[in-house]
Amino acid sequence: MSTLKLDLESYKDLLKQYIETQNEQALYRAEQFSKHSIQQNITPDEIINVHIEALLELYPDIPSNIQSSLNFLLETMISYGLAYQEYQALREKQLELQSEISVAANMQQTLLSTTKPEMSELDVGAISTPAKQMNGDYYHFVKDQEGSLGIAVADVIGKGVPAALCMSMIKYSMDSFPDSRMEPSVILEGMNRVVERNVDPSMFVTMFYGLYDPDTHEFNYSSAGHEPGFYYSAKNDSFHDIEAEGLVLGVDRSVKYEQYTQHLDVGDMVVLLTDGVTECRTGDRFIERDEISDVIHQYKHLSAQEITEQVYRHFERLQDFQLRDDFTMIILRREV
Amino acid sequence: MNLNIDVDHEGNNKYVSLSGEIDAYTAPKLKETILPLTQDAEATVVVDLQQVTYMDSTGLGVFISALKSTKEYGGNLKLIQLQERVYRLFKITGLTEVIDIETDSTVRGGM
Amino acid sequence: MDFQSCVNIKKEWDIVGARQLGRDISKKIGFGTVDQARIATAISELARNIYLYAGTGKVCFETIENLNEKGLRIIAIDEGPGIRDVTQVMEDGFSTSGGLGAGLPGVKRLMDEFDVISRQGEGTEVNVVKWLR
Repeated sequence: MSTLKLDLESYKDLLKQYIETQNEQALYRAEQFSKHSIQQNITPDEIINVHIEALLELYPDIPSNIQSSLNFLLETMISYGLAYQEYQALREKQLELQSEISVAANMQQTLLSTTKPEMSELDVGAISTPAKQMNGDYYHFVKDQEGSLGIAVADVIGKGVPAALCMSMIKYSMDSFPDSRMEPSVILEGMNRVVERNVDPSMFVTMFYGLYDPDTHEFNYSSAGHEPGFYYSAKNDSFHDIEAEGLVLGVDRSVKYEQYTQHLDVGDMVVLLTDGVTECRTGDRFIERDEISDVIHQYKHLSAQEITEQVYRHFERLQDFQLRDDFTMIILRREV
Repeated sequence: MNLNIDVDHEGNNKYVSLSGEIDAYTAPKLKETILPLTQDAEATVVVDLQQVTYMDSTGLGVFISALKSTKEYGGNLKLIQLQERVYRLFKITGLTEVIDIETDSTVRGGM
Repeated sequence: MDFQSCVNIKKEWDIVGARQLGRDISKKIGFGTVDQARIATAISELARNIYLYAGTGKVCFETIENLNEKGLRIIAIDEGPGIRDVTQVMEDGFSTSGGLGAGLPGVKRLMDEFDVISRQGEGTEVNVVKWLR
C-alpha cells in the first residue's frame, strides 16, 4: 500500500474494483488512498479531477449532463483546495512558532533560575509553574552580606509571552540592586519606578519582598498590591493572612511602601503565593483561601518543598490539570 | 463567558454599566469602549459593576489605563456597586486608594 | 507589451467577464479542466481585488511561448490606493479570515509564477503565469 501513488491508473483500478464488487476491501483501500494523499499534500480538487478522468476512461459514454455536473463539482472544490493548502501552511507556521516559544521558555528558565538557599535556620520550599509555556510569575532568593535572606515574589498581569517579557525586565532590575542589605520598602520603591517608566499603562506588576534575619528571626516585608500570603503559628496551630498594604507597581511613581515585621518562632511558617493560586476556579466555583491553608495544614509534617508540591498537585487536579494562571508558592519554615 | 457593555451619555457624564465577566477575553472590548470615553476633556466616567460576577487582573489593567487616561485629560473615573470578590481585587492591589470607588454601595456576599 | 485582450473591471459582473475570457484563452492554449478551473479562480481573486480595493482597473491576458513551453500570462492592473505592506498581504491567514477568499497567497498557489508591484497612491500590478504541462 505504501507504494500507492495518486496516479490515474491506481485510482482507476480502485474505482473499478469498487464499482464492480462494492466490497469493503475497496473502501478500505480508498481510505488508505485518501490518507496517503493527505501526506502528499494533495488537495481535494485534485482528487476530484482524478476521479473525473478515471470515470471518463472507464465509461467513455457518460451522458454529457453528468459530465458537466462533475466539472461543476470540480470548480466548486478549487477554493476548498486553496483553503486546505493555506491550512497546511499555517500549521507549519504554528509548529515553527511553537518551537520558537519553547526555545524562549528555556531561555527564560535559565534567566529566572534562582538557587534555593540552604540555611540551617530555615526550611525553604518553592514551586513555580506557568499556565502556558512562558511564566509571568517570578520568585527570587538573595542572601545579602549580613546573612539575611531576601525573597522576592512577583506576578505580572496577564500570562504568556508579554508577561514573560515584562518579567525579564523585573529580573534584570532586581539584579542591579547592590549586595548590601536592602529594606523591602526601598526595593519596592525602586522597582515601582522601573515598572512605571518601562511598561504599557495597562500593564502592572504585583510584588512582595520579604527579608528574613536568621539572628533575630524577624521577617520584614512590604507588598506592592500582592496577593496576601499566610503566616502559620505553630504554637496556636493556626493560619492568618499576612496583611500588607501597598499599591501595585507601575501606577504611581511617587508611592511609598510601608514595611511590616513578623517574628517567627520555631515551627512557624510563612507562605507566599501569587494570585494564580487564589484565583483558580473549578467550573464556576472559586477556590477559597481557607482551602489553601487547609491543604498546607494537612501536609505540614512534610518538608517545605514537599508541601508546596502537594498544594500544587491538589490544585492541578481540581482544575482538571489545566492551569488557568501561572502558579507560584514559596514556604519558609523556621527550623531552629 | 461574556461581557455586556452599555454606555449612557449625558453631556460630560458617561455612565457605563457592565454585566458578565471581565477576563483576558473580554478585557480588550472593555478597554476599547472605556478608553475613548476617558479621553474627552473633563469627562466623568462612572462604571457600574453590579452585574460583574468575575474579574481577573486583566480587568484591573483596563481600569488602571482608564485612571491614567482620565488624569491626563482632567476627568474623573468612578466605580460603583462592586461585588465583594471584585472589590477584594481592588483592595489587595491598593487601587482602592487611587481609584474613586463607592464603597457604601458595595454588594456584599455577591458571589 | 502587446496584450492579446483585456477586460475592464468596473462592477462585480465584470469579474465573470474576465473569468470567461480567461477560460476561453486557456482552453485554446490547451489547459485541462482542472487547470482551467484554477486559472478562473485566480482571475476571480485578481479581479475581485480590483473591484473591492481600487474600484476600477483591468485584467489582461497574453499567450506566451518559448522554445519548449506554452503558457498564459495574466496581468491585473489598477490605479487604486496600492498595497502598503506587500509582505503582510502575502502572509497566509492575513486576508482570508472569514472565508472571504484565497487572497494573493491563494493566487500564487494557483499559478506557477507570481509577481506584484505596488506603489502607495499609484496603484498595483499583479503579474502571474501558468505554464501548460
